[in-house]
Amino acid sequence: MFMEYAWLIPILPIACFVIVGLFGKKLHEGGGFVAIAGAAIACIFSVLVAYDFITNGVDGIFGAPFVTEMKWLVFPGSDFVINFGVYIDGLTCIMLIFSSFISTMIFVYSIGYMGDQGEKKPRYYGEVSLFLTGMLGLIVSSNFLQMFIFWEIMGLCSYLLIGFWSFDHPEAKQKSSAAKKAFLVTRAGDVCLMAGLFIVLYLFGSLDYANIFNAVAIEAIAATNPELLTVAGLLIFGGVIGKSAQFPLHDWLPDAMAGPTTVSALIHAATMVKAGVYLTARAMPLYVFNSVNGEAVLLFIGIIGGFTAIYAASMALNNFNIKKVLAYSTLSQLGYMILALGAGGFLMAHGYNTGEEHLVALGVLGYMAGIFHMLNHAFFKGLLFLCSGAVIHATGTEDMKQMGGLFSKLKVTAVTMLLGSLSIAGFPLLSGFWSKDLVLEAALHAGTHGMTGFTVLFVMGMITAFMTAFYMFRMWFMTFVGDYRGTEHVHHESKIMSAPLVVLSIFAVISGFVIFIGFGNLIADMLQESMGFFWIEIESGMDIAISIFTNIWTYVSIVLALSGIGIAYLMYMKKSVDPAKFNKNGESAYYKLLTKRYYFPELYDQISWKLGYGIARIVDAFDRNVIDGTVNGLSGAVIGGGDVVSQMETGHVRDYATFVIAGVVVLILVFAFIFIGGI
Amino acid sequence: MIPIELVLGFAALLFCTGLYGMMTTNKALVALMCVELMLNSANINFIAFAAYDVFADATIGNIFVLMSIAIAAAEVAVGLALILNVYKIKGTSSTDDLTTMRW
Repeated sequence: MFMEYAWLIPILPIACFVIVGLFGKKLHEGGGFVAIAGAAIACIFSVLVAYDFITNGVDGIFGAPFVTEMKWLVFPGSDFVINFGVYIDGLTCIMLIFSSFISTMIFVYSIGYMGDQGEKKPRYYGEVSLFLTGMLGLIVSSNFLQMFIFWEIMGLCSYLLIGFWSFDHPEAKQKSSAAKKAFLVTRAGDVCLMAGLFIVLYLFGSLDYANIFNAVAIEAIAATNPELLTVAGLLIFGGVIGKSAQFPLHDWLPDAMAGPTTVSALIHAATMVKAGVYLTARAMPLYVFNSVNGEAVLLFIGIIGGFTAIYAASMALNNFNIKKVLAYSTLSQLGYMILALGAGGFLMAHGYNTGEEHLVALGVLGYMAGIFHMLNHAFFKGLLFLCSGAVIHATGTEDMKQMGGLFSKLKVTAVTMLLGSLSIAGFPLLSGFWSKDLVLEAALHAGTHGMTGFTVLFVMGMITAFMTAFYMFRMWFMTFVGDYRGTEHVHHESKIMSAPLVVLSIFAVISGFVIFIGFGNLIADMLQESMGFFWIEIESGMDIAISIFTNIWTYVSIVLALSGIGIAYLMYMKKSVDPAKFNKNGESAYYKLLTKRYYFPELYDQISWKLGYGIARIVDAFDRNVIDGTVNGLSGAVIGGGDVVSQMETGHVRDYATFVIAGVVVLILVFAFIFIGGI
Repeated sequence: MIPIELVLGFAALLFCTGLYGMMTTNKALVALMCVELMLNSANINFIAFAAYDVFADATIGNIFVLMSIAIAAAEVAVGLALILNVYKIKGTSSTDDLTTMRW
């Protein structure tokens, strides 16, 4: 009963965008409260839609997708139609709720955080509303083209918001170049995605999810055209690499910290990077039912995810910018999600191809772990970013060397950030613990039951867990304990900024318990009914918990996380271990490599300078010489020819008479030749 | 009766004389007179075809010649008026000097 109106969910924020864009200057707080209202109503609506979907099912079938579409583009003479519609299943419900909820919290927080922005406020609230539209629209889309449109709206908004301070700001140049980098790097992925969609359109003759995610159709194509199906899957994953900032297109995300902290929170927790993970989860049938190459593609996805996890975590180890630490942490956690989806998908595909049903069940568990981790990460990373924003707001700097001892002044921030850090580090029973262990378990199962490559990724994930605990607590200790090292006066925290922190911290602590209330079944039903998987059974939440606590590796990861926290404690609180011993006072080669971000920005610059600028110069030369040359040559010929011909105009009457007569004579000769000579 | 070829040949000669004169002279009055010559050679052709009954109805040729002469008279009047005015403004009627009406 609510699902029929799900199309209203993306309409609400875009209405706010229009209202704030047009009348923002006259509204209170630059239209901030309108944006909050839009996001909040969208959130309430999402909950109602999810409630309706979960309790009533569609036509009495639980998990079956609710699809309502209208024809958007009809091509006369062919039966090919592009639709515009709404597609609701379990994944949609989960994404809708957490995206709109966290956005609401971030918008509330923005009232305090962006309070000093004056005239820029309407622009800010308009753009974040549009950003939310992009995400919510992408989630409810019923086909790939519609999804791609919203995907690009988000790309545009990320560009606008990362470059929010491109004007009238001391570091405007660096800010605008960060925005351009984010836009162009994600563009590389978007081009891949678009190419992938063209191939999908060619193979399936449709872009509707309802037609594509059909095991029979995919298997038929896998039998006749496996290469193209594989290429399409890889290209779609290319879009994910760009959007979710996976290696090697990860480098825009740390630079994207140039935007306001609230924007970072929005990008990292609620929107943008989550879209990539969502797309991987959504397109999973394309990989799983590709019986020829699906397992290899899923291994590739797992490798990208696992490598990004450890690679990004390493760069967070020695960074002194509080926001960049969190940015690398996001990269690393996104790597976990992609790893879980890759491993889970691999197990599903392997089990499906070999007919071992218990492997499929394990795969579903891994797939669920990826989405589960995305949900938990949304809460704790949104919380952590907002906390870091509160710290930055209070101290006026992002440099952790200028912080310290803030616990007494920013009590709410310190406690909530501690909860967020414990959660992301995987402290037992907090949300990050459940999902992280499920992710690692999925990698381990994929390693033992199928491809040994996943075992390596499992070990990398374990090391990442240790590094995560270390860098998060390094950040926390450097910020909140010891003596204040900055010079600026520390402002007090305001209620409007603290309230969202408290709310989010509650969710960061408890969101892991959703597996006990049927989260797994929601995902399993969705896979079974929406995506055409054969009958699957998932363990109940209690069984999952039992399996987590009876697994030796869980205790290993807890020990690793605690030892990471302990080392951070010794180094940065008790100061009994000097970090300088390990990095030779910042002189060791690896330390430098990390501060240089593995020379990746340099690589990007070199590529864009050498290759991009070289191509640009060739194109420029072609434009100037060939295209301009043709046009200029033509006009020159006309002008020159006119000059020559105009010399015939002597002004003498008798010359004109001569020309007339000559013309007549020529005509007569021609006609004589034609008529008389012809006969 | 003299053959029609001679009459037509005379008319052609007259036309070429006028043409030659118009193409070579630099005097506006002479050019006007040459135009008259050419016009008259055409008139002679009309008369010749009418007189030798080349076409069924001879009267059309005669009437046409009368009309042509009348129009020629009007044309000469306009031409002379133009030349006279040009002479008054420019102080010359030589076509070599009247070359500004170009481009």
